[in-house]
Amino acid sequence: MVTTSTTIGFLRRSDLQGLIDLLREDGRTLLGPTIADGAMVYDEIEGVADLPAGWGSEQSPGRFRLQERGGDRLFDYAVPPTTWKRSVFPPEMPLSVATRSEDGSLTIGPAKREIPKLAFLGVRACELAALGIEDRVFLSGPYTDEDFRARRNASIVVAVQCAEPASTCFCTSMGTGPGVRSGHDVSLVELDEGFLVTAGSPAGSAIMERLPLGTATADHLSAASDQLIAARERIGDPIEARGLHDRLLAKLDSPRWAEVAERCTACGNCTLSCPTCFCTTTVPGSDLDGRAASTERLWESCFNEGFAKVAGGNFRYRFQDRYRQWLTHKFATWFDQFGTSGCVGCGRCITWCPVGIDVREELNAIAPPSGVMLTLPEIKPVPPPRPGIFTIASKREETPDTTTVVLTKPGGMAWEDVRGEFVMVSLPGIGSVPISVSQRTPEGMVLTIRSAGPATTAITNLDVGAQLAVSGPMGVDWDGPLELAQGKDIVVVAGGLGLPPVRPVIDNVLNDREKFGALRLYYGARTPSDLLYKEELAAWSARGDMEVAVTVDRSDATWLGRVGIVTYLFDQASWDGSKVVAFLCGPERMIQASCSVLQAHGVTPDRIFISMERHMECGIGLCGHCQMGKFFVCKDGPVFSLAQLGDTFGREGI
Amino acid sequence: MGRPEATARPRLGVAKFASCDGCQLQVLNLEDALLAIAERIDIVEFPEATTHRSSGPYDVLLIEGAISTQEQEEHVHKLRRESKLLVTIGACATAGGIQALRNWANHDEFRATVYAHPEWIESHAASRPVADFVKVDAELVGCPISQSQLVELVTALLTGRRPYLPDEALCLACKRKGNVCVTVAKGIPCLGEVTRTGCGVLCPSYDRGCYGCFGPREQANAKSLAGHFLLEGIPDIEVGRLFAGFTAYNEPFRTAVTELGGTTGASPDAAWAQAAAALHRGGHDAG
Amino acid sequence: MQANAPASQAVYHTETLTRVEGEGTLHLVVRGSDILDARFKIWEAPRYFEAFIVGRHPDEVVDIVARICGICPIAYQMGASYAFESIFGVQVDPQVRALRRLIYLGEWIESHALHVYALHAPDFLGYMSAIDLAKDHRAVVEQGLQLKKVGNDIMTVLGGRSVHPVSMRVGGFHRVPKRSEVDPLRARLEVALKQSLATLDFVAGLEAPPFERDVKLVSIRHPDEYGLIDGRIISSDGEIDIAIPDWPKTFIEEQHEGTNALHVRTKDGGLYLLGPSARVTNNHEQLHPVAKEALAKSGLLEGIRKNPFWSIAARSVELIHACAESMDIIDAYRRPAQPYTPWTPQAGSGAWVTEAPRGICSHNYTVDEKGLVTKAQIIAPTGPNQGSIERDLALFAPQVLDLDHSAATWKLEQLIRCYDPCISCATHFLDLTIERV
Repeated sequence: MVTTSTTIGFLRRSDLQGLIDLLREDGRTLLGPTIADGAMVYDEIEGVADLPAGWGSEQSPGRFRLQERGGDRLFDYAVPPTTWKRSVFPPEMPLSVATRSEDGSLTIGPAKREIPKLAFLGVRACELAALGIEDRVFLSGPYTDEDFRARRNASIVVAVQCAEPASTCFCTSMGTGPGVRSGHDVSLVELDEGFLVTAGSPAGSAIMERLPLGTATADHLSAASDQLIAARERIGDPIEARGLHDRLLAKLDSPRWAEVAERCTACGNCTLSCPTCFCTTTVPGSDLDGRAASTERLWESCFNEGFAKVAGGNFRYRFQDRYRQWLTHKFATWFDQFGTSGCVGCGRCITWCPVGIDVREELNAIAPPSGVMLTLPEIKPVPPPRPGIFTIASKREETPDTTTVVLTKPGGMAWEDVRGEFVMVSLPGIGSVPISVSQRTPEGMVLTIRSAGPATTAITNLDVGAQLAVSGPMGVDWDGPLELAQGKDIVVVAGGLGLPPVRPVIDNVLNDREKFGALRLYYGARTPSDLLYKEELAAWSARGDMEVAVTVDRSDATWLGRVGIVTYLFDQASWDGSKVVAFLCGPERMIQASCSVLQAHGVTPDRIFISMERHMECGIGLCGHCQMGKFFVCKDGPVFSLAQLGDTFGREGI
Repeated sequence: MGRPEATARPRLGVAKFASCDGCQLQVLNLEDALLAIAERIDIVEFPEATTHRSSGPYDVLLIEGAISTQEQEEHVHKLRRESKLLVTIGACATAGGIQALRNWANHDEFRATVYAHPEWIESHAASRPVADFVKVDAELVGCPISQSQLVELVTALLTGRRPYLPDEALCLACKRKGNVCVTVAKGIPCLGEVTRTGCGVLCPSYDRGCYGCFGPREQANAKSLAGHFLLEGIPDIEVGRLFAGFTAYNEPFRTAVTELGGTTGASPDAAWAQAAAALHRGGHDAG
Repeated sequence: MQANAPASQAVYHTETLTRVEGEGTLHLVVRGSDILDARFKIWEAPRYFEAFIVGRHPDEVVDIVARICGICPIAYQMGASYAFESIFGVQVDPQVRALRRLIYLGEWIESHALHVYALHAPDFLGYMSAIDLAKDHRAVVEQGLQLKKVGNDIMTVLGGRSVHPVSMRVGGFHRVPKRSEVDPLRARLEVALKQSLATLDFVAGLEAPPFERDVKLVSIRHPDEYGLIDGRIISSDGEIDIAIPDWPKTFIEEQHEGTNALHVRTKDGGLYLLGPSARVTNNHEQLHPVAKEALAKSGLLEGIRKNPFWSIAARSVELIHACAESMDIIDAYRRPAQPYTPWTPQAGSGAWVTEAPRGICSHNYTVDEKGLVTKAQIIAPTGPNQGSIERDLALFAPQVLDLDHSAATWKLEQLIRCYDPCISCATHFLDLTIERV
């Protein structure tokens, strides 16, 4: 029999074991729903007897109960607590292994992982949509999760159309179900006598050909259709999804966020029950001596304390900010990032919230259907960053807690071929930190690092000759803004540790001096002993072709220069802002104040460029931590124009 | 935590106050890992394991037990002076322990319940965590502490990295493991949402609710959880007893116990319970 | 240990007795070679368990009382469970009962291995700690650690963790394991059995100081099994033979000044001794055949009865028994359909005892009609043992008076360690001073 994607076959109930056996061929593990611990759990299926015949589910906010329905129907319930996500995106996964020897040399490489051959039986329409969303998150680039791709490619997807939705379902509003449309290899519709079977892919067609299928009769088709219509009607349309993106983002100051935060315990259940949430954290481990080291990737939640934390503080300390982050990411900024809504309407976050917060209620009946897809510009995938082993060629202490390290590697760095503002520096067994590149050299690079925690302390304590692993560079750098700035006057404003990241701007301008107009550096530090690059500051001041003004917040006995905040250096300046392109880096409050002054001087937001900071873990836009509104700081930044940032900039809790 | 000097081995001591010794036993339970650690660290004082005695100084001092007598209060100050890094281990040292339930009660009545001659017994009215008296540099919570967290702390100390001791709810570990939530699926009250992870989600894995022995997590919203239980029909005092456990004395469990009752001497306030339940009444489907 | 000895006085003073769970002091007053006074005091900051348990639900009490002792939490959880079950009339499923014995034997294995290898053997061989012992005899110490680990792992599989397990409740367990979860323990117990037989051989070769006395040894005895959770309470001289729930009428607590540890005497004011020596003496007939044979081969039954230093052999015999019986329980295990027997509360009182590794641990509760506790009495095994320790120290002291200070002190501490006093059970105070007058 020739099968096409429009052929509908009929499989008798007694022949279902045959499908199961097919799916288990060649050592493939079949996963499907089983009854355990008071719910359905996706576990290994060996026979029809393992499936939950005669069971249903009753779900409401914060409540899940199994229902005994009797009979032999196998799929008359809505989604269980587990997701297929855990099979293609493991909750805990080893990432890398490394060794560090006594003399400081390193080896580092990816951890061995086995990709099991799997088949999924009973994938609902919302779950298919979720897998599709994960494909976009992990595979659209520029960096991709190849482990995810391998697991996806190694799985067969057998979908089942819902007949018994729960009161928490809202796939209809999100445009993802209950009808199964695409993303499956094989799709089943359960009827009393058996199953309608269709294929959604060549692999699915190949499976269909091997099944003892009869032809679907008109009665079968109309029963299936009635079932689907009834399911759809039971769900209704709980959320007004059209326009939700814009409406939600217009309500960032709604008082409702604080109200829901009084109920929310920030337990993370919603995010870890969700079939599309993708944030992860990377944890270093090692033996007692730190010689054999490893990293492991774990599912993480934006509700966690450390998620948005950096050395200087926590960008989302309040629960209301974390809840807002989750909801606006899921229903609004996900569109900007990936072209669709992040939500498929499966209702798990409603059922499995132990205090019963209902996201539909919180959205106040708004959500865009995921059938609306924005076309985003095609992103060219780039090869994943592989860490290079660099050696510390020399060190210079800038201040008691800040050190400049000169790194080299055999063969040097081909800077003409790469773009990026920062690198991920890692010492296996200790941790990994993002550091801006302050100088590019043919042999490698120069980094200036403050000892702010155990990892940066360990790195700056290394001796000359010791080795580090460095990945990158990544992120949007100053090159674009510098092109824009040719022929214009340059203003550089830096505060404290903000000088090293913005130094490449100065070096670039000085290297090509005649291409630019005036060059003015305004630099402030807390005290004279906190000033970085003292030699360079002196050398720059001595040149005739740039202005250098330095200030400190508090002076000491030796200081003869300016005292006060950095904006004092230029708020009375007389230069013409309409000819200026500004480059800023430093504490956010300093940047905010400086931007006000610059704009008062006529520098427009499209000519103000800022290097932003957030909690970065992976550096490649996959772990979710560094989000700032719709932006991933590590891949959309860290260099942004003020115009680009809009009212994301300076808003508390973003 | 900086790197110890390359040549000298760190000196580690273990001290005990009012406790059951279970946390010290967890150190001994490291078994062969303990021997490996002892090759890299000088264990100069560990009353449960060795007759070696030392009065310091210590690079690292692990303290088990709550402060509940005058003598202990004076001794802990002395220990603080002798220690570079003072690490409290276990619920007694970090929260006052289960015996902190006496902090709500009348101490004299308690003494009289246990001892025929209460006047012969000297102790403070309250059992309190070590941090109430001296600065604590790090803590391992739990009743008892978790062995894997202990090894992580020691490894971090030896290698110079930040130890991975996440301050997140148990719920994340349950979900990563694939556990079905006992509260949502079975209606069993569980404190996991407001309790700090680290135990390996033992209780939910054994079909019961978490009883909070690792203590309240960051900004734990105990009031919301209490309100939810009250709406489920659990009486105020029983909800109070849920929080009146091994880490009752740490906030916000302490306020929940005081306001709901659940231990001798608590002063329940019906208004607090009503406000807690009202958080959910608007949107809560108690069906 | 300090020695400050003016010409006419010798003072042996230890402020903290190491390698026992907690702190205690001992003070001897000596004239010539006569012991005038022996005072054994234990100081553990009082925690008032019996007071704050009032008002709590029985299942909460089972969780709470574990914290009386980090080394024998199951003994407390078990005694409390049985005491409440006797009030509410709860019958436990036989498979659940078997699991209870298994988890309890796991605690015995862990506790006995800990005591033999880490707490007591170093004394016999002249080392200050197991860690020091390991430097010269690593294989010996590793064997002890492996044995201890099997005990811990039994408790972890059945209870979630070995210190303060989470699975025990009135009527049984919150969760019972699948057969596939206990099977891996079986193979390890086979190895452990061999290791515990080797332990008894090793122990039998040690030199015990010659010190014999007659003492009333009290334990549970059951006709068909090694007394652990049920039976009657008997004494070695036949004077005591009571039903378990009658213990509060037979054993009385007294408070002595200068120590916050409560002493316990028989109702006639007599001293008695609990623990492995008492059990092996009273119940050697009920030992598992493998253990019985090993005991006979060692020839130490008399020694165990009369010489407290041979308690290390009693523990070793019980290690063998625990491994062998655990294997039998696993072989016969079928997962019960219900992990616990449901019960309804009613007002009443109930008393029960079980055999903690260190000896009988006693519970007595009164509850109201909701089942909430109104009164509680809990006696750790070291309560009764205190008096015997004091008396034995007085009897033994003449043997060490001629040794130099630190040697004598160490020998006396070693005697105390024989009783493996569970000092953290909020009772005992141990400080050693010998004052010559």
